[in-house]
Amino acid sequence: MSAIASLFRNDYDSDGFRTCSVTGLDVHRSVENHVKLFGLTAVIALAFGGIFAFTVAMTRWEFIGFLDPGSYYTHLSLHAWNLLIFWMVFMEIAILYVGGPMVLGRTLPLRRLATAGWVIMALGAVGVNASILLTEAPNEAPLLTAYVPLPVSPWFYGTAIVFLLGTTIAALPFFATIWLETRGTRRTLPLVAFGAFITGIIAVEAILGGIAAFAYAFAWRIDLIASVDPGIYRQLYWIIGHGSQQINLLAMITVWYFLTHVVGGAVVVSEKISRTAFVFYLFFINLGAAHHLLVDPGVSAGWRIWNTSYAFYGAAFASMIHAFAIPAGIEAGRRRRGQGGGLFGWLTSAPWGNPVFAATVFSIILFGFLGGITGVVMGQMQVNMTWHNTFAAVGHFHATVVLGTTLAFMGLVFFVIKTMFRRDFVSETLAAAVPYAYAGAMSIVTLMMMYAGILYGVPRRTAEVVRNIPGSEFSFAAAIPIFMIFGLFAVVAIASGALFILVSVGSLLFGDRLPGGDDGGLLPEGGLHADGGQPIHAVELRGTFTLCLVFLAVFIAIYVLNWYLVTQLWAIGA
Amino acid sequence: MTDTSRIHLPMQLGGIVRQAWRDLLSVYYANTPVWRWLKSGALVFLGFFLWMGGNVLLAYWPDATALQYAMAYGFVLLAWGPLTHLLVVPTVIRLRRTAQRPLVRRFARHGSKINFGTFLVIVAVVGTLAPGVMLLDFSSGFGADAGGDVTAELTCETGAEAVSCEVETSTGVDHVVLTSGGEVLDRSDEPPYAVSASRDALSDGPSGAQFEIELRDANGDTLRRFVRTV
Repeated sequence: MSAIASLFRNDYDSDGFRTCSVTGLDVHRSVENHVKLFGLTAVIALAFGGIFAFTVAMTRWEFIGFLDPGSYYTHLSLHAWNLLIFWMVFMEIAILYVGGPMVLGRTLPLRRLATAGWVIMALGAVGVNASILLTEAPNEAPLLTAYVPLPVSPWFYGTAIVFLLGTTIAALPFFATIWLETRGTRRTLPLVAFGAFITGIIAVEAILGGIAAFAYAFAWRIDLIASVDPGIYRQLYWIIGHGSQQINLLAMITVWYFLTHVVGGAVVVSEKISRTAFVFYLFFINLGAAHHLLVDPGVSAGWRIWNTSYAFYGAAFASMIHAFAIPAGIEAGRRRRGQGGGLFGWLTSAPWGNPVFAATVFSIILFGFLGGITGVVMGQMQVNMTWHNTFAAVGHFHATVVLGTTLAFMGLVFFVIKTMFRRDFVSETLAAAVPYAYAGAMSIVTLMMMYAGILYGVPRRTAEVVRNIPGSEFSFAAAIPIFMIFGLFAVVAIASGALFILVSVGSLLFGDRLPGGDDGGLLPEGGLHADGGQPIHAVELRGTFTLCLVFLAVFIAIYVLNWYLVTQLWAIGA
Repeated sequence: MTDTSRIHLPMQLGGIVRQAWRDLLSVYYANTPVWRWLKSGALVFLGFFLWMGGNVLLAYWPDATALQYAMAYGFVLLAWGPLTHLLVVPTVIRLRRTAQRPLVRRFARHGSKINFGTFLVIVAVVGTLAPGVMLLDFSSGFGADAGGDVTAELTCETGAEAVSCEVETSTGVDHVVLTSGGEVLDRSDEPPYAVSASRDALSDGPSGAQFEIELRDANGDTLRRFVRTV
């Protein structure tokens, strides 16, 4: 118990503040302890959900065929809720506290509310897990979609609502901080706080949609109302179903800006443009949910076309801005410090041995190439039909929330271990290996998911993958080579995830305590604010420009290939 | 007045090409541990993309033999990319600095060209031979020539106390079983494969009492499964 209590101790002054030796921020005890509390809970959810990643992957890999179909869906539901929701959302509340009171140098307002929020969230999370684990026929495990009239335990809907209410309560201190900061002043928020604020707004939208959807289904399950309209339910559901992943996206991008600056020496090339991109997200990112409803009969052609083309590009445009702004910030920052000439010298000289930097940059690259491109491709009304409800859709969201968000959050956890828990890694080598092993193996897993789905039409959600799929007319045995690669690399990826948990928990329990003022080797050469000399507009950004050209070339190739595949689905007069 | 931009354009283009080549070489020879892994990983990605993309396009353009070479490039790259950047390039760089013997120095000077040349030869051979391991099958399981696929028509009648089913056009089927909750309730070895079970014996599924009809071959392997809810 004392070991856990010691995790929450640091040297604060009489006002409860201390100056962070890495970020230079004035950090108050109340903020730091709540960030630790939410962060630790998130890691527990990650570890728990990761166990089911193993059982699920070893079932999809039919060579092993670990679980029977009944157990598979229960395990898949536990995997999804713990990793897509609990790991992410607990981390996101921590990020709101970092982006709000910590960056602004304030105490955490409404502290009891923050703690109460954590308690209610934790109760909700335990309740959701229990309701899934205890599911009995005729009820079904809900996965994430829990579509009505699929019979799902009312306990599930009830506890999911509790979790969402807890999240709302936990977010209130952040909004209070922003209100206190901006009250009576025209001063703008720092970019990281601004990003966190937009994240918070989108989170509120998503949570309200979730409460509405689950309350509707809950009322039906406890017989308060006789029936539900599945069409309306799905519209409501996808406000949170996809909205929760948009929170992940924005939180991840906020983390990118924060960590590339602190550990990579990045600067913000243009605050206005980066802020504008966040505002674009505010208006357009939720439209991404539309691709789940394109095969629904109840939506008009106008609705489909608006959501999947004109308006959808607003979000894609915002992502393009961040995709340029963040590497450009790294290049500009490092060139101003005189760190690396040539086309990619700024990148080759970057601190790749630092797991925080490596995890963040891998997250940027892999999210962009694998998650972002496929998201835009799949978001197209026509191309969506070849992806949706195949394993390719699973590949897409593993590319976004695993290779993107989880990798970025892993970097953040490593960062928090050194800066807030003030612990050295139990092994620098193992910590440095985590992002490489995890990103490498998970990338191949994700690619195989996409290939199996888009090239063979392998469905998602079924335990039996390549043969004996109930009700199907055909076998997918031809996809076996792809699943062999998938299975082998899934084992490596899960082992790498386990290594992350071991290094993190091991460092907290057995890592040496960092002395006051020690930056733990996190800061780039020249410190956080090195004297750069050159003004930002005079710095050459040809490395980023080249990378963007490569990105666009890949984008075009994948876009064209997918459209070509669509054209091959039928042939007039053939 | 002279248009200087037009006069210098070829020189400028030449400069850009030379600079691009130098940049490419600097990336190729970047030799820190991190960059070795980054380049290897990027080439594995490129390899998968070419291999899979070539396969899928070949399914639509079976006569486009050039695609076989694109596939072969990707397929060989899966191994050759990491081999090059984890082993060959570091070795060449080390030998260029340390090698004393003239033969070794000469080898070091041309090591990368030899490596790339060997790679291209292997790609040419693999592309020409097109071994089965490189070709992914996009036809199996679909269409009339699908060996393992069984199409059948299932007719079921549900009475107040029992359910009974028959299977028609069941080529390749050895026997049919009716299962519920994982237990075999009835079996038929002869066409029309009539099976039945009492409703009380059926277990609950997500939407009420449920049973499965499995078409099996002589080894007992399931060829096709129908799920029905009462």
